Amino acid sequence: MRRVIPIAAAVVMSCAAFPALAPAQQTDRLTVPVSYHRLDNGLRVVLSEDHSAPTATVAVYYNIGFRIEPRDRTGFAHLFEHMMFQGSRNLGKNQFIELVQSNGGVLNGSTRFDHTNYFQIVPAHTLETMLWAEADRMKGLAITQENLTNQQGVVTNEVKVNVLNQPYGGFPWLDLPQHANENWHNAHNFYGDLQDLEAATLEDVQRFFEQYYAPNNAVLVVVGDFAPEQTMTWIRQYFGSIPAVELAPKPDISEPRQTAEKQAVKPDPLANRPALALGYHMPPRDTPEYFAMALIDQILAQGRDSRLYQVLVQERAMTSGVSAGANIGLGNMFNINGPTLYTISLLHDQDKPPARIVAAIDSVITDLQNRPVDQATLDLALVKMRSLWYSMVESGFGRADLLAAFALFDDDPAKINQIEDELRRVTPELIMQTAREYLRATNRTVLRVENRPAS
Amino acid sequence: MRTVIFRATALVALLCPAAAPILAQETPPAPGTPRNVELPQPHTFSLENGMDVSLVPFGAVPKVDAQLVVRAGNIDEAADQVWLADLMADLMREGTTSRSSQQISLEAARMGGGVGIGVSPDELTVSGSALAEFASDLVRLIGDLGMNPAFPESELPRLKANRIRSVAVSKSQPRSLAVEKFQGVLYPDHPYGRVFPTEEMISGYTIDQIRSFYDQHIGAARAHLFVVGRFDAQEMENVIRQTFAGWRPGTAAALNVPRPPATTRRIHVVDRPGAVQSSMYIGLPVIDPSHPDYIALAVTNTLLGGAFASRITRNIREDKGYTYSPGSTVSTRYRSGYWAEIADVTTAVTGPSLKEIFHEIDRLRSEPPPAEELKGIQNYMAGTFTLSASSRGGVLGMLRQRNLHGLPEDYHAGYVRRVHAVTPADVQRIAQTYLDPQKMVIVIVGDRAVIAEQIAPYGEIVE
Repeated sequence: MRRVIPIAAAVVMSCAAFPALAPAQQTDRLTVPVSYHRLDNGLRVVLSEDHSAPTATVAVYYNIGFRIEPRDRTGFAHLFEHMMFQGSRNLGKNQFIELVQSNGGVLNGSTRFDHTNYFQIVPAHTLETMLWAEADRMKGLAITQENLTNQQGVVTNEVKVNVLNQPYGGFPWLDLPQHANENWHNAHNFYGDLQDLEAATLEDVQRFFEQYYAPNNAVLVVVGDFAPEQTMTWIRQYFGSIPAVELAPKPDISEPRQTAEKQAVKPDPLANRPALALGYHMPPRDTPEYFAMALIDQILAQGRDSRLYQVLVQERAMTSGVSAGANIGLGNMFNINGPTLYTISLLHDQDKPPARIVAAIDSVITDLQNRPVDQATLDLALVKMRSLWYSMVESGFGRADLLAAFALFDDDPAKINQIEDELRRVTPELIMQTAREYLRATNRTVLRVENRPAS
Repeated sequence: MRTVIFRATALVALLCPAAAPILAQETPPAPGTPRNVELPQPHTFSLENGMDVSLVPFGAVPKVDAQLVVRAGNIDEAADQVWLADLMADLMREGTTSRSSQQISLEAARMGGGVGIGVSPDELTVSGSALAEFASDLVRLIGDLGMNPAFPESELPRLKANRIRSVAVSKSQPRSLAVEKFQGVLYPDHPYGRVFPTEEMISGYTIDQIRSFYDQHIGAARAHLFVVGRFDAQEMENVIRQTFAGWRPGTAAALNVPRPPATTRRIHVVDRPGAVQSSMYIGLPVIDPSHPDYIALAVTNTLLGGAFASRITRNIREDKGYTYSPGSTVSTRYRSGYWAEIADVTTAVTGPSLKEIFHEIDRLRSEPPPAEELKGIQNYMAGTFTLSASSRGGVLGMLRQRNLHGLPEDYHAGYVRRVHAVTPADVQRIAQTYLDPQKMVIVIVGDRAVIAEQIAPYGEIVE
């Protein structure tokens, strides 16, 4: 699936016109309303009211990502995501999509390292219809071989249009994890080898559904203009009878500490300029160092004021821009629950050798490792991060995504209101320590794209 | 608490009856009563130098977006000046008479935002966003960027190298190659048809050409400033009057409306040996948003190929599995537009994909769509309009659309009603009038040796 119309329902700081939002303790702090419930079958439910526009976002997140898909079925978690649109008990093929669109809504689904999500953004008065439809496909699928064959064709075309037929296809978001990681769960081709996609059977689909698509392995989030009691009544009515299943223990997805730099080259016959990406293993989720990385990212790479932009673009004319971030191309540092990379990438010309570009990057990183940043730099990083954070929580989907991740991975959606505090706790000393351990050259993989035929 | 003062006189009632009936054991619960959508009304005024201003205090998030839109763009370029406007915009960002490039970046960052300058076929936009508390500073910074560029020649070689690299990368992407060929055929001898410059063109541009382009085309008489988000409107108006009062009016926009050629059904192949997919543009010139039939055309487009539940997408994706991301669009410029179906299909089914796409176009021309199907599409368009009207970006987009195309102020207030007024017979008439398959240009970027035989039945291969 694709095609999302990004929209922004609003979050308020303190504004009496929107009483559902709690007044913030400080005037420049956002507080997102969060109400958290658990049904008897284990389904976790997060409600977040926002009455500033007559819209609602319904999102169901399942605790199954491509990291733990079957070893002989690479790409299966994503192929399965497509099957969730192919028919359920009471909705035949195309009918789920028609139901959402003919009610004035947009929909999508996506598969990520640690979750698969499904969401609708709809006019608020159609909320009950959407809850019924999401419950219907959580109860059971009705998939035929014809549907499966059709979606194998669609997904194969998805891989072609995004990877095989494109210059820089899969760079760096699909390529870099495969080189940087050691554990198969983190290092396999999660878009799928075409043979594996073709080998998938209806039995695989059924088994996967039974194993992972259960209420006790899911979170339901509703954000927007709704009445909470009525909404909880509907949720109990439609989801309450779906039985829980026994969940398999989670496999070991850990990565060993990296101690030597890795180098890799991707031959790309379609690319006509070289490209370069550096991937550093991120600190463990939720540690002080993890939040420090968010501010390091702002200092290093976000905006034209950032140090890498100033050095690589303005001063040395090595590229026209630098892309960087954690979990790049697939999300952000909050909606992932296992090993991930902080990635810096850029396109360049032949006359700028990669070694010189890496040396320029290193000069910026070395400074961060050896000299504590001044308060002005830290304040600037915080302002930028705060603005980014508002942008993330203001849209119905952005907020639903964060609430779902915090419920699914931490059993604590109210964590959404603690992130600003975590960021404010970061000190110049912590930034220096974090840069020393996590932006070590020996903690990174350097991937180069070269224009030549694949061997 | 800040009061939202210029808010909403127009109320749009969403008319969304129950969804199409679903034939199954259990039927979905019917939706409740649609709630009113408030369309924010802008507070507008003009300065003596001719600059227009639209302010929309909007939303509850403490952020603000501002865009200075100047009616000048690629349309003002001569045949040997392709992307001169883009290079000028790049250089405008490199400093003003009072701020260095780095100072601009730092100031924007301190506001929790950023500023940028971009060029489209019809417009140059200096845009920015910031935390609400910096709304006035943001508008001042945008004004400085638009009015007082320093044009530092020292930065020009670097910016040219960036543009040359960007063209090179675009020309390795199949969709970029397809759009270049498609627009070249639709707009011969017009700036809209010149999508990419050559490397030699970019290398040759001089600082004098850039300055001259600015002097000739950028000024208050062509400008409209939009501010949407949380701010105090009176204070903002004062700041705008102070900031922009001294800007020279400059020239009026030169309207250069292309005369669409009488297209015929022909196939243009851009050879890409070994391509695993064929990237297709199939379409023709159509009307623009100022035409009375435009909304009916938009509805027809959505039903035919412009939504997930549309006919072409259901056919070539959900039934045949030929492609992942097909879609049709009405792409508009000032008093000009084209319709196109755009799809990347597996090479081996290039011919069958053409067959199905033309089958769906023919079917819509030969019989009106069932009322239920049309109603579903109309509800979809009404709903997505609501979603769009509840974001700063969506509100900005509506204001800009009215500004560019010279649409009446109540255009968006009446949009949902006009969408719902379209009948099945209208859709058939629109398809017959505007979507004539015999006039459709077909561009395919793909492996010529493999596809030539497959596509031959669907039109004369002219290149």
